Amino acid sequence: MRIVNPGFGLVPAGAEQATEGKVDWLNDPIVLFGNSKPNARELLEGVKAKLAGIRRTDNIDFIAKNSASQGAPPEMINDTAKKYRIALLALGD
Amino acid sequence: MSDSADTEILDIADLDQEAWQDYAIEQGWSDGLPLVMPTEASVARMVAAAHGDNEGFAAISPRQVVPTMASLAANAVMAGAKPAYFPTILAGLRGILDPSYNLHGSMATTHSCAPMVMINGPLRQALGVNCSSNCFGQGWRANAGIGRAIQLILLNVGGGKPGVMDRSTQGSPAKYAFCFGENEEESPWLPFHVRRGFAPEDSVVTVMSGEAPHNINDHGSTSAEGLMTTFAHTIAQPGANTVYGKGPYMVVVGPEHAATFHRDGWGVDKLRDELWLRARIPLKHISEENLATYVATGHKPTGDFLTICRGPEDIHISMAGGPGKHSAFIPSFGGTAVVSTRVKLPSAGA
Repeated sequence: MRIVNPGFGLVPAGAEQATEGKVDWLNDPIVLFGNSKPNARELLEGVKAKLAGIRRTDNIDFIAKNSASQGAPPEMINDTAKKYRIALLALGD
Repeated sequence: MSDSADTEILDIADLDQEAWQDYAIEQGWSDGLPLVMPTEASVARMVAAAHGDNEGFAAISPRQVVPTMASLAANAVMAGAKPAYFPTILAGLRGILDPSYNLHGSMATTHSCAPMVMINGPLRQALGVNCSSNCFGQGWRANAGIGRAIQLILLNVGGGKPGVMDRSTQGSPAKYAFCFGENEEESPWLPFHVRRGFAPEDSVVTVMSGEAPHNINDHGSTSAEGLMTTFAHTIAQPGANTVYGKGPYMVVVGPEHAATFHRDGWGVDKLRDELWLRARIPLKHISEENLATYVATGHKPTGDFLTICRGPEDIHISMAGGPGKHSAFIPSFGGTAVVSTRVKLPSAGA
C-alpha cells in the first residue's frame, strides 16, 4: 500500500552545510556561545576551565545573544562563523 | 531546493488498523493518539480542498525543511481533519511561520507554549467550530482536527519531537490541540479580526505561542471595577514567562463577564489600558533570588512592580465561551507575536 509521508519536506536552497579543512581542537579559536539565560555564562566559564587542562585558552572567547527566547541575529552568526572554527553552545538553563 | 533524505510517497506493507497504529507510532508520527492513515486518495482530497492555493511556505523549524502541500495534507488527514478544514489549517500555519511568531524559539524553549489558534469570521459556523460552552475543550471535530493537524505538522515536518527538539520541561495538554472560535454573535465588542483591520466577512486565523488557558473565576463581582480586580490579580503571576521575555498575552472574556464590562461602559481599549496599569507583579511576590536574576538580565522593576508585557498593545482581548462566570487568561511564551492570517477561499478572491 502507498501512503504520503507526513514528514516529507524540501531542503531550502542555500541551506547546504559548508565544511572545509580539519579542526585543530588544541589550537583553533573557540567561541563559547551563550543563550543569555541565567547561569549560561557560569556554565561556559566551567567549560573554559575544563578546556584549560587540555589546550590553550588565550583564543577562547565568550559571546551571548541578546535574548534567551529569540534566535541570534544572522549577522552575529555569520561574524562568529568567520572568526571561529569551533563553537560551544550553552543549552542548559 | 532539494528533497530531504525521505521520499514523499512511501510504499509500505499492507497493514490493518492495529498494525498501522503501531507502525505510525514507530515512525514517531503520532502525538500518542491513533492516527488516520494518509493514503494517496485521502491526501488528494485534502489537497483539492486548498483550491489551488500555491503560495509557498517558509521552512519549518526546528528541522528547517519546506513542506509540500501533500505532506501538510497528510498530517491533516492523520489528525482526523475534514478536507474543508484544510484552508484554515494552512492559514494557521502561515501565521506560525511568520518570523514574528518565532517558531524556532517557541519549539526549542523549555516553556510549555503551544500554538493557540483562534478562528474568526463566517468559517467558524460553516466548519462547526465551537465558540461557546467548553470552547477550549473536547467534543468538536473542527476544533480538535484543526488544532491537532497544526501540531502534527510541527511534529512531523518541523521535527519538534518531544524531548529532542521540543525541549519543553513539562509540556502542556495544549500541545495536543488548542483551537477555538471567537463568540462573535454574543460579544458586545467588534470581532477580534475586524479590530485588526480585516473585513467582517473575512475568515481569519489568529495564532500565538501560548500556554493553556488559565481560568479567571469571578462569581461575586457585579461591576467592571470588581471584575478588573480579579482579572488583574489573576494575570499578575510571579511565574509568568513574560517577565523576562516581554510579549503579548490574550484575555478571553466569557460572555457574562463581557456583558458586565459592556454594561459599565468598558470597551476593549479601556480593558487593555486598565490591565496594563493593574496586572503587574508586586515585588513582594517575587523571591530575592529571582528578582536579582530579572534585574541582572535587564528587567528592572517599575516602581514596586514588575510588568509582564510592554504596553497595552501587547494585551489582546477576545470573547468566547458560554454561560457562566468564567473568563480565561492565555499567557504567551513571551518572545512571540499575535499573528492573524486570512483564510484563502475562492469566494474571498484568493
